[in-house]
Amino acid sequence: MAPRIQSQRVSNTLLPYLTSSSTSSSSFNTSSCSPSLSLARQFSATAAPQTKLRRQMFEWLNTDGVNYKHHVPGEMNYLAKGRRDADSAPSNRPFPNNRNFVSESVLSEELRNEVYVQVVEQKKSVRAVSVQFGIDMKRIAAVVRLVELERRQRSQGKPMAMPYARAVHEMVPVTPLAERPVFHEPINDLPAHPSTGAQIFYPTTESRSFTRIDAGRVFSAAPEFQDAQRAAYPHPSDLANVIFKKPRKIEWVGKGANYRQVLQPADVRIPHPQQVQMERDRIAFPQERRAVLDRHAERLAKQEKVEQTRRERAKKVHEDSINLVEPEGGRFDFRIKDAFFTNKTVGHDGRAPFAPGRRYGVPTNDRKRGVVKIPTFVKA
Amino acid sequence: MVVRIRLARFGNKHDPFYNIVVAQARSARGGKPLEVIGTYNPIPKRPVSLYNENVNTRPYKEVALDQARAKYWLGVGAQPSDPVWKLLNMAGLVAPKPTTYNKA
Repeated sequence: MAPRIQSQRVSNTLLPYLTSSSTSSSSFNTSSCSPSLSLARQFSATAAPQTKLRRQMFEWLNTDGVNYKHHVPGEMNYLAKGRRDADSAPSNRPFPNNRNFVSESVLSEELRNEVYVQVVEQKKSVRAVSVQFGIDMKRIAAVVRLVELERRQRSQGKPMAMPYARAVHEMVPVTPLAERPVFHEPINDLPAHPSTGAQIFYPTTESRSFTRIDAGRVFSAAPEFQDAQRAAYPHPSDLANVIFKKPRKIEWVGKGANYRQVLQPADVRIPHPQQVQMERDRIAFPQERRAVLDRHAERLAKQEKVEQTRRERAKKVHEDSINLVEPEGGRFDFRIKDAFFTNKTVGHDGRAPFAPGRRYGVPTNDRKRGVVKIPTFVKA
Repeated sequence: MVVRIRLARFGNKHDPFYNIVVAQARSARGGKPLEVIGTYNPIPKRPVSLYNENVNTRPYKEVALDQARAKYWLGVGAQPSDPVWKLLNMAGLVAPKPTTYNKA
């Protein structure tokens, strides 16, 4: 039987009732609840001690709810829609009536350590590890940074918040490190490009093949491809190879502030364009699985090499442009960067908005009312 | 009149930022200079300590300088102010300023 609230005589009794078992509380109730009290209730203005919902709550707590009272260590303790069985797979929805609330899984300790080992110690490319475990490349980069930080803190003997980590891993689903990798998340997703938001009615001849390349050109108002250009890319993913090697091949259109790059097809912009090519190879040569995989590996290696040289070159350019001076006895270093104050960089009157340094004769609106002063976006 | 290479303060209270400018010596600090040849941010920046390689790096101050213009103005007799002299010395454009206390 559900326990009752003692309205007048005992105050703050709710807490011990919720934690104590039902039998002890009911015996306590019968002793304290006299018939004279129920007669007096006829003229009482206080609310009834027991509502229907409250009774149902205690019923549930004593039947189905018992399963949830103590959680199994290392497992989530989410409510299930009906009665929970030991065999049924745990749901990722902590609120069974809200289908839209889904807990996203996090990487397990072993998996994130494995990612770090493969990237840093075995020197595998981030791209390859991302495909192997089905983890987004940005997440791989974050894992590498954070594990590096963790190892440094361990070596310095700093305390780790292990109980916290353990608690979090029991609250959300965890992607384990398994023999056959369990994919953590979709890795080839693409955010919708703002210029594809426009609805454009574009008449084209039926005989003409209209691919994603053409659609991108229409969206960015670039001139149509000529037949010879179109013939070079029978499938939009063929363009990915070219653009990857020479990103400067992407055309620019428009004038002034509207000067922009031509929108590339999704085949080029996705994080792993080589996956599309492998899938096409698989469909074209279903019998030659070995050859298809070899070609894929070759493509990956080539891509990695190009990326590596590009990274090194960018790093060298950055280092060359900075002259680091360490004055004797000073606390700070000085980074002396080359800057060019010419007509082109500061404008004919020295007030161009893109000019380096602070400008003259232009009011700074940083304290004006109605001007947003906090950053409104972060560059990816 | 003397032409000087000096700092012109910008930024807000407690948030200084300087343009390195070439100006007539008697002109106002906030007046329009002959030319801007660089910037100097005196607030030290600390590299992100998330990476192992950045752990032992010291905080740094950022200077941007148009070396060609600085050389030109020094060549025609512009006189750097003391703080700018230090910066130009670090950039390797002028010898350190002779001091009396080092002679003794």
